[in-house]
Amino acid sequence: MNPVPPEEPVGPARIRPFLGVSGLGSPHAAEASPLSGLRPFVLTSGRVDGVDPDIGLETQVTARSDGPLRTGVPLSSLAPELRAIMALCADPVSVAEISARARLHLGVTRILVGDLRAAGYLDVHAREAARPDPDTILRVIRGLRAIS
Amino acid sequence: MDFVRSPEQAPPIPVKIVVAGGFGVGKTTTVGAISEISPLTTEAVMTSAGVGVDDPGQATGKTTTTVAMDFGCVTIDRSLKLYLFGTPGQSRFGFMWDDLSLGALGALVVVDSSRLDDCYPAVDYFERARLPFVVAVNAFDGKLVHELDEVRWALAIDERIPVVAFDARNRISVRDALLVLLDRALDDAVREQSV
Repeated sequence: MNPVPPEEPVGPARIRPFLGVSGLGSPHAAEASPLSGLRPFVLTSGRVDGVDPDIGLETQVTARSDGPLRTGVPLSSLAPELRAIMALCADPVSVAEISARARLHLGVTRILVGDLRAAGYLDVHAREAARPDPDTILRVIRGLRAIS
Repeated sequence: MDFVRSPEQAPPIPVKIVVAGGFGVGKTTTVGAISEISPLTTEAVMTSAGVGVDDPGQATGKTTTTVAMDFGCVTIDRSLKLYLFGTPGQSRFGFMWDDLSLGALGALVVVDSSRLDDCYPAVDYFERARLPFVVAVNAFDGKLVHELDEVRWALAIDERIPVVAFDARNRISVRDALLVLLDRALDDAVREQSV
């Protein structure tokens, strides 16, 4: 005779490892921030490599206004940290600034920005590996001289 | 006449300067003095093979360290924005310097003249990377523990590398140190172009 199976919890099915389901009656739901105890790279499914070499710290990122239209997935159904990134990119912003303001580690930010770019939500204005040319340097010099 | 704006604002071209130096030499103060935003902090996780210098008997493993980096920016004009990244000065953070140096205008190596040791790794690195750099001695309270010539001698750097004294708290002083660096960068860029 089969033992009686334990009673299934009522509510939405939970997917292991139960991440992102705080507030669904999990025994640990009362704990502070759901993300606070996680190693940063949980957000990238453990990926630490494969950062797009185009994405530097100073690289400018902008949200595509047609992003959700193209992907068919509204921003509201993205993971919270992806939504947080999208919210910061209405105007051009650097990857470093996204990392600081979204409080995500730099490596994590670069991977997630790369994901959002690949999915069509973000434009990444690829950096140039070359040193700036004399004209650009002269513009910076003039700009700094104007500071008083 | 109305100015027709493109619906999506074109992003500025970013240029960057690395502000390197040991712990507590005034990197963040330097960045904050010139930045138009209060310096932001970002963190990078680095994994490095433990080298076990102090304890060779111990099994070599991997260690994970979180490195904090402060940065700020200056809008040069509508299409050009200067970023300043303050980075720790230990050689084991070299992985970050590779990334930071890529496409950078140059580096300002901030030095406390009473603790010159701190800046050796950064000086070494930028020399090898052939990135234009300037040694900027932070004159705490307007005083230098060593004369600039002594600093140059102690660091054994090339005559062509500028060594300047500056006050990290003073906007104009930081600006002038950056201008010395940019002059170097301009020289290099012009020379490269004419080759």
